[in-house]
Amino acid sequence: MALTRVIAEHPLSKYLVNERLPHAWCPGCGLGITLGAILRAVDRKVREGKIDIKKLVLVSGIGCSARASFYVRFDSAHTIHGRAIPFATGAKLANPSLEVIVFGGDGDIAGIGGNHLIHAARRNMDLLVFMVSNLVYAMTGGQVAPTTPTGLFTTTTPYGNPERPINVVKLVASQNPNYVARASATHPALIEQYTYRALGMEGFRFIEVISMCPEVFGRHIGYNDPVSLYKAIKSKTRVKARPSLDEADYDWNHGWVLGEFIIKNNPGYLRTTGRWRA
Amino acid sequence: MRKEFLAAGRGGQGILILGHVLGLAAAKYTGLYVTGTESYDAETRGGDSRVDLIFTDSQDELDYFKVRSADIALFMYSDQLLKYRRLVGNEAIVFIDSSFHIPELRSSWQVYRVPYTDMAEEKLGTHVVANMIALGHIIRKTGLIDREAVISSIKEVVRKRWVSVDLKAFELGMELDP
Amino acid sequence: MRADYITTNIAIAEGAMAAGLMFYAGYPITPASDLFEYLASVLPSRNGVVAQFEDEIASINAVIGASWAGVKAMTATSGPGFSLMVEGLGLAIITEAPLVVVDIMRAGPSTGVPTKATQSDVYQVRFSSHGIYSIPVLVPWSAQEGFDLAVKAFNIAERLRTPVVLLSDAVLAHAWEKVSLRSSEEIQVVNRKKPKNLEEGMFPFKPENDLVPPMPCFGEGFGVKVESLSHDERGWYAPDNETYKKLVWRLVKKIENNMSLIWDSERYFTNDAEYAIVAYGSVARPAYAAVKEFRREGYKFGLYRLKTLWPFNDRDVANSLRKIKKVFVVENNEGKMYREIARSVKSAEVISVPLINLEVPPPEEIEEAVKEWL
Repeated sequence: MALTRVIAEHPLSKYLVNERLPHAWCPGCGLGITLGAILRAVDRKVREGKIDIKKLVLVSGIGCSARASFYVRFDSAHTIHGRAIPFATGAKLANPSLEVIVFGGDGDIAGIGGNHLIHAARRNMDLLVFMVSNLVYAMTGGQVAPTTPTGLFTTTTPYGNPERPINVVKLVASQNPNYVARASATHPALIEQYTYRALGMEGFRFIEVISMCPEVFGRHIGYNDPVSLYKAIKSKTRVKARPSLDEADYDWNHGWVLGEFIIKNNPGYLRTTGRWRA
Repeated sequence: MRKEFLAAGRGGQGILILGHVLGLAAAKYTGLYVTGTESYDAETRGGDSRVDLIFTDSQDELDYFKVRSADIALFMYSDQLLKYRRLVGNEAIVFIDSSFHIPELRSSWQVYRVPYTDMAEEKLGTHVVANMIALGHIIRKTGLIDREAVISSIKEVVRKRWVSVDLKAFELGMELDP
Repeated sequence: MRADYITTNIAIAEGAMAAGLMFYAGYPITPASDLFEYLASVLPSRNGVVAQFEDEIASINAVIGASWAGVKAMTATSGPGFSLMVEGLGLAIITEAPLVVVDIMRAGPSTGVPTKATQSDVYQVRFSSHGIYSIPVLVPWSAQEGFDLAVKAFNIAERLRTPVVLLSDAVLAHAWEKVSLRSSEEIQVVNRKKPKNLEEGMFPFKPENDLVPPMPCFGEGFGVKVESLSHDERGWYAPDNETYKKLVWRLVKKIENNMSLIWDSERYFTNDAEYAIVAYGSVARPAYAAVKEFRREGYKFGLYRLKTLWPFNDRDVANSLRKIKKVFVVENNEGKMYREIARSVKSAEVISVPLINLEVPPPEEIEEAVKEWL
């Protein structure tokens, strides 16, 4: 007699390459939660007839988060470290009927790919970019990231991180794109809600998702199990409706405000260049 | 048939435009093959300006890009004459703007000295079309390219508001008979 | 067909458009910028996209994205920009994305002399990506060949699903020449193989007999997996030795086994020649003049000109030069392709004539250098 009940089908299985599951992400990692929330938003859009799943493309770079490209059933590309945004830009410009999502980590998007991020935001390029911030370079074993809070221990800052972390929400917002939000893997409903809104918009859309890496981030700073790190992150997050950018501080000690910082309807790059197709 | 043509002067004398008119005339409006290279100093006025054109009637005769022994040469200023005279063949037909001081010339050259710049100023009210007078003169004396081809090329290369005065200058050069 | 008087840079742009170019991404760099500017002025009116990116890294990645979105795409740069594109070139190779990179050689290392020409990138374009691969590199010697080889570069890229490098230089870039421009209808245009059914589309890396897989693209409903990791025929990551070996051998062999589609060379005066100059690109022009001069002086010289540098065709080189006593490899670098020629030619003495000259060595310099060895 089986101890567990086998469900015939996962609610999101039509969006997943089920043969490649279970995924490679560690127990307690925020990536599965984040991808699940995004796919639920996609599913709503598909059921409403607003997205043709054949036209959806997920582009990732390199890192733990980039593995999402393995698991989605629709078109996807696992490209190179930091370059998902320009690759995605090229695909979108070449075929404007595509809905192109970039899914990456903080090292990928804001570290090695930081310049591409700034310029895509500046162009108001018609892309939806997710940056899942686990505050560390996880796939390579827990080295310091541009988002690692000051003072924290990583494998390349064994005496504590002497640098200040980058505030990517403020950085992207400074380029005046159409959408900037911050969510957290501790609040999957928010991820789904923000994704749902951003998927219907044109121009550049950016969603940061604060996430948990219990294996090579949490353990190094004294959270010895996934639950304690999850609780710590959750306790540092506060949800606000339409917070101002002044509230977008990135601060390990005082925590993060989650919310939608910018919602605009300026013409995106494709409309500006006469290539927009609704 | 293979003809090497060298034109040099100071920046602002229209050397590059002259070269482009000739090159396009040959390539587009005659059956000739042509290779052209331009060189000029960074400053657009006053610096060195040079065009090398090589015309052939078969592709096989085109090889090196640069003039090594010009059959026809135009010098719009004395400095460039001194600098590039070594690239002019012994039997060359040489056109020189005599509005400026002329240094010593090689006796084997067939030389035409015309004050293109002064003439442009006097007859057409602007020195900037001296290049087109020189071009007309070169075409008249050498038969390098068909006259109609050059006229078509001028109409295509030169900015609209300059076409009529440039064509006048070109015809003036065609009528020169010193 | 229409004749025009244009530079090699513009001829390349025209050739690319005739071949079906629909997407260009670039970053300004001397001496490639005017090619970019020309396309920016004409390609949009042909419904194509031209965009300037933040650097060469972004440019080539955008080109790869566009290629996977189903269009013919290109970028152009010079050595320093190519250095930045190398990472992306590897992605194009392993994902088998058809595209063309134009490298207009200037003088390096580093910033070097931006406006002047050398032939210093002939190894860079072939070997600079890490990994096991082969890549076609075509090298024009005139503006006309800029047009012709741009067409050929796209046709090879599409036929073999590979990036192709078109290798020009700063002197050719801005040499104006008569070019016969042909329209798309007047040339042979090759398009990538497409999957014939859903089953084929699910295997974006499953080759046919020619070792080239049909290419499903984004938005076509195949759920295509573009994968930079070693992958199986579905595009699924597979780190095992068998899969890796099979993949990289195929990446190499689909190029090398299709040599006849890629390789081209030309011989001038070689029938009775005792001596031959081997040259390529801009240097072949003064070399041709030098050969004619040698002939006038009574030396039986011929010219063997490479129109393709890579993959290197040992057999054609050896055959073409088999009756020659002395072979002089004249290059505007320290003697790079000499090594390949010397390796291939066993029947003659092969002498390197490295003439580094920012203006391209004139015929006299070549004659003088070669005469020392006669």
